[in-house]
Amino acid sequence: MKPWISRLGLLGKLAVEDLWHDRKVSLCIAASLVAVIAPLLLLFGLKHGVVSQLQNELLSDPRNLEVKMLSSGNYDTAWIEGLRQRPEVGFAIGQTRSLNTQADLLVGLQRFVENAEIIPSAAADPLLNLPDITLSANQVILSARAAQRLQADVGDSVRVRVSRRLDGINERGELNLIVVAVLDAARFGRAAGFVAPPLLLELERFRDGYQVPAFGLATGKPVGDLQPLYARARVYARDIDSVAPLERWLNQQNIETSSRLADIDNVKAINHVLGLIFGVIAGAALIGCIASMIGAFLANIDRKRKSLAVLRLLGFSSPAVAGFVIAQALLLSLAGYVGGLAFYGVGSLLFDHLLGSSQATGTFVCHITVWHGLAALLIALLVAALVAVIGALRAISIQPAESLREL
Amino acid sequence: MLDIQDMLVRRGSGAQAHSVRLPALQVKAGEILAITGESGCGKSTLLEAIGLLLMPVELGRFSLGPARHEPGAKALDIARMLAANDQPALSAVRSRHLGFILQSGGLLPFLSVRDNITLPRRLLGMPVESAQVERAVQALRLEGLLDKLPQALSIGERQRVACVRAIAHEPQLLLADEPTAALDPHSARRLFELLLSLVNELGLSALVVSHDWALVRDFGLPRLGAISGQGETRFEAMD
Repeated sequence: MKPWISRLGLLGKLAVEDLWHDRKVSLCIAASLVAVIAPLLLLFGLKHGVVSQLQNELLSDPRNLEVKMLSSGNYDTAWIEGLRQRPEVGFAIGQTRSLNTQADLLVGLQRFVENAEIIPSAAADPLLNLPDITLSANQVILSARAAQRLQADVGDSVRVRVSRRLDGINERGELNLIVVAVLDAARFGRAAGFVAPPLLLELERFRDGYQVPAFGLATGKPVGDLQPLYARARVYARDIDSVAPLERWLNQQNIETSSRLADIDNVKAINHVLGLIFGVIAGAALIGCIASMIGAFLANIDRKRKSLAVLRLLGFSSPAVAGFVIAQALLLSLAGYVGGLAFYGVGSLLFDHLLGSSQATGTFVCHITVWHGLAALLIALLVAALVAVIGALRAISIQPAESLREL
Repeated sequence: MLDIQDMLVRRGSGAQAHSVRLPALQVKAGEILAITGESGCGKSTLLEAIGLLLMPVELGRFSLGPARHEPGAKALDIARMLAANDQPALSAVRSRHLGFILQSGGLLPFLSVRDNITLPRRLLGMPVESAQVERAVQALRLEGLLDKLPQALSIGERQRVACVRAIAHEPQLLLADEPTAALDPHSARRLFELLLSLVNELGLSALVVSHDWALVRDFGLPRLGAISGQGETRFEAMD
């Protein structure tokens, strides 16, 4: 007795030979599957393409992730740290009072920016998107506008000048920083310098009249054990879906906020609507497909009743005959899937080519991932196998004795 | 080689029920027996029961074997397999030890003549090449038809292919259900002649169902005849 695997091979070979012999009918069944699979793949490709395009646009702009705190308060380091630990938060950093986030930037005597924004930053700041750079105390990242006005480049030295009035005397503190990076113009529009948080705190303390040696002056009150207090925080959600819960939580802390939640909800609504439309169409197509497959497979089995009875007579067991029927169904649906995928490929190329470059529609893409393709294949095979099992049960009930009698 | 005692098979139920009784049947190795009777008397039913396709309602003894080429082997106790309804074992016996020739050929339409003939051997994992099959192909003059599909063959040619397929896996017992019924008298006689010489040459045992008494008489075959009664047909040795 040969091992079962070679018997399986024989069965598979017979199944293929039968399909090939009956190629007109096989083609009909496979074509009816193509007619369902190709439009479904195209429709899903469009839905996925449009939605992921909108989502990409959302994600590419970090401001969509930002939840702005509108009111000022007094938050200590522990509060900021607690905020950072929340699951919805991707990035959070404490900010000083808004008046104190400004300073003059100078290079030499001629090139300067008055009242540039001084913004705290740290590693993994989504606004900068410079994951490799960790700012230290004497470093600065310039916005494109600031760098342009200062004509400064990476490696140059920039002076920060802050003025204060202490006991009726105007004082000017100055500090030298090294430019470590210049941002893209698209990332931040205004003139600004991004610095490590301690530097911003020192800036504020200097303005508040404390003694800050870093600015080259020995006057002012001693700092003592003054704890840092922040007026607000620059907060970014971990992802698009976290924006709403983060904003809700901040509002519960009586903090007024603003965010681009409306834009995000728009995209979600589009996703929902397209998903619903796709689901209904796919469901209708699937029901029709299953009905037509059941009809085709059952009619096919009735047509092949005699062959199946002969196989039984020759000694093929009933599970083997069922396997024969199921293998044929799987092969047909595989052929249908491959055909559907080919039509999808042509269709999506056509979409992208004809609509993708048009100004009116913007970027228009139709695409599916490999996983979507595999899932579609799996569903096609699963449906075919399920339908084939019904046919196989019918095939098993065919008695070998039927081949002895005239059918 | 084949030994059956007290077999009763029933087809249908209630008023339509028809019983077929076989009190005793013994076929020696190399023996050919004709089963004759009117149409509809239950010849095919008897053949189905002997071919393990139909479960008998009563059975005294049913043993098969040993084959001539393995005289040391024990006879198979088919009665016990039937009693236990061991379908896989019955199906294995059918594929290994029995060969069927059907009225209408029963060839698979999607396989070439060659593949049809070798299918029983491939199913059993036997080597596809066989001197015995080649001899049979030559004897029935099928060499030119090997690569054709059954649909390209005449009915007589298809029946000849079916004969070769039935002996391809070297079965012990050949069961032929009116193999010549679809042929004209001249072709029928020729096919019958070829079939008998093939069976003789290979030393098989065979049961051939036929309603053509003249044919059976002309070839001088021992006969198992039907005696019809009320709702029951008995098959008994006639000569």
